[in-house]
Amino acid sequence: MGFGQFLAAPEHKVTIVTYRDIFQSAVMEEGRFSEEYLKLSAVIKMDAADIKKLDVKVGDTVLVKNKDNNGKVIVRVESSGYDSHSGIAYMPNSPWSNALVDADTGGSGVPRYKNIEAMVSSAKGESITGIDDF
Amino acid sequence: MKRQSMVILLNENYHVCTGCALLCDDIEVITDGKKITEVKTACRKGVSRMKGCNEPMSPTVDGQQVDIDVAISAAANILKNSKSPLIFGLGNSTDGAQKKAIELAKQVGAVLDDTSSFCQGPTLEAIFNDRIKSCTLDDVRNKADVIVYWGADPSNSHPRHLSKFSYFPRGQERQRGWEEDRTMITIDIRKSHTAKISGDKFYQIPLQMDAEFIDALIDALSGKVPKVSFEFDPKRILELANILKKAKFGTIFVGLGLVYSLADMEPVVRLMDKLNEVSNFHLIPMVGHYNMRGFNQNLFNETGYLNRVKFEKGNSTDVQHGAEFSIVESLNNKTVDAALIIGTDPLSSLPRSVAEHLLDIPVITIDPCETFTSRKAKVTIPSALSGVECGGSAVRMDGEEVKFEPIIDVKDQTIRPSDEEILARIMEAL
Repeated sequence: MGFGQFLAAPEHKVTIVTYRDIFQSAVMEEGRFSEEYLKLSAVIKMDAADIKKLDVKVGDTVLVKNKDNNGKVIVRVESSGYDSHSGIAYMPNSPWSNALVDADTGGSGVPRYKNIEAMVSSAKGESITGIDDF
Repeated sequence: MKRQSMVILLNENYHVCTGCALLCDDIEVITDGKKITEVKTACRKGVSRMKGCNEPMSPTVDGQQVDIDVAISAAANILKNSKSPLIFGLGNSTDGAQKKAIELAKQVGAVLDDTSSFCQGPTLEAIFNDRIKSCTLDDVRNKADVIVYWGADPSNSHPRHLSKFSYFPRGQERQRGWEEDRTMITIDIRKSHTAKISGDKFYQIPLQMDAEFIDALIDALSGKVPKVSFEFDPKRILELANILKKAKFGTIFVGLGLVYSLADMEPVVRLMDKLNEVSNFHLIPMVGHYNMRGFNQNLFNETGYLNRVKFEKGNSTDVQHGAEFSIVESLNNKTVDAALIIGTDPLSSLPRSVAEHLLDIPVITIDPCETFTSRKAKVTIPSALSGVECGGSAVRMDGEEVKFEPIIDVKDQTIRPSDEEILARIMEAL
C-alpha cells in the first residue's frame, strides 16, 4: 500500500457547456436505451492540460459532481481537441449532463444548460453511470 | 436470394423529413410497404428518424400492456381527476394535433407549455411581436450575402442548413455561391464544426460574454472604438462590423449558445436595430423540433402568448401567462398534479432535479417510441410518426408552413393513430 492511497484524488473545477452531436442525435432517434447512445452521451470533453491535472488518461472514467453535490455521474473523459480552454468542459445534451444541471433557475424557468458548475475527479476503474441508474 | 418486393418513390414523389425544423422537402425513400428501408437525401438524423426507432411504444396502463382504447380511457380518467394538469410537448406533433391540445387544455384547465419555454421562446416572441426583422430560408438561399451563425452549430444540429439554404447553394441573386457571393461568420465560444467552415471569419468569445460583445459590435457599427473587458483585438470587431455594414442582405441565425447567454433579448433587439440603421439584416432562430414554431404560432394566434399558459377550467377566454406556468417552475413548485407528455421526453431533456416531480404524479405519454418518461409513465399511448405514418402540416424554423402526406399506407396500422386522433379520443372520453 503506497502513500498515494491516502491522498484524495485531485479535483478540478470546471464550467460545463452542453452541445449537440449529430452522431449522438442520430443514435437517439434509433433508441434511447442502446449501448451506443450511452457511449456517445456519457462523455465529458476537457482541455488536455486539465485531464493531465486529474491524473487520468483519455478514455478513463471520471466522477463529475455539481456544485451543490446533488447531482453526480461517472462518465468517460475525452480531450476536446480545441485550443487551450482550461476550466471549461463540454458534454453532449443527455440525461448524463442533465443530472448535473441546477433546478434553481431564479424563477426564470430556463435551466443553465450551458453554464454548469462542477467538480471533476478520477474514477479510474469505476463503471460509467448506466441508463437504469437515472 | 429472392429480392423483397419494394415500393420505390423517386423524383416525382419527394417527402418531408420531420427530423428537425428545417423540414427538408426533397427526401426520397425506399419502403417495403410497412416500413421505410432506405432514405435518400436526408441527413444522418433524418435517416434515423424516418426509418423509425428500435423501441416502439406499446399501449400500457401501470406497466401492463392493454388495448389502446383502455389506455385512452385511463388517460381521460387521470385528466378528469386532476385539479391542475400539465400538458407539455407537441414540438413533434402536427399543427392539427397542437390545435387539439389547446382545446383539451381549455377543457381540463391545464397548464400548457412546450420546449420553447427553455429554448428559442424569447427569440420567437420578439419576432412574433415585430421587434426583430425576420425572413424566410428561401430569401436566404436566393439573396443572402452575409450569414452569421451565433451560438449555433448547424453542422451538428441541422446538418443540411448550410447546403440547402444558407452558404453553399447558388441562389437567384447569388449565382457565384459561397466561393464569391457569400460570407459566412461564426461567433461562438468554441471552434465548432460550423466555425471551422467559417475559416478566418470565426470570432471566438468567452463564455457568457455575448451581451458585452454585442455592445462592442454596436459601438463599432456606430463608428466608435469597440471595447470589451476580455482579450480581443478591437481591429477584429471593426473588421466584423465592416462586413455586416456592407451586407446587401444579411441574416443572423441564433442558436441556444446566444439565447442561454443573455438574460433577455434586449441586446439582440438593440443589435438588430443598429444593423438595420446601417445595413439590411434579418434574424432566424435555429429551432430544433420540427414543429415547435408551429406550436408557438398556434398558441400565440389563440391567446397572444406562445408558451407558459394556464387555462381556467371550462372558461376558454380566461388564460394566465408567466414563468410560473413554465414546465420547469411548475415542476419545481409542484403546482401540477398530473402530466400529459406528447412527443417529448422531459425525464431526459430537463434537469434531473426538476423532472423528479414527474415521478410523484400520474404521467401519460403519447409518443411513437419508448422514452425515459414513458418507462416511468402510468399510461402510455403509441402514436404515428409524423411525416411517415401520418400527414399534416408544420411550421418551419422561418415561419413557412410545410404540408406533408404519410409515406406508409396506414390503413392497416390502426394500432398507431396520430397524436391528433388520440387527443380527440381523449376529449371524447372526457
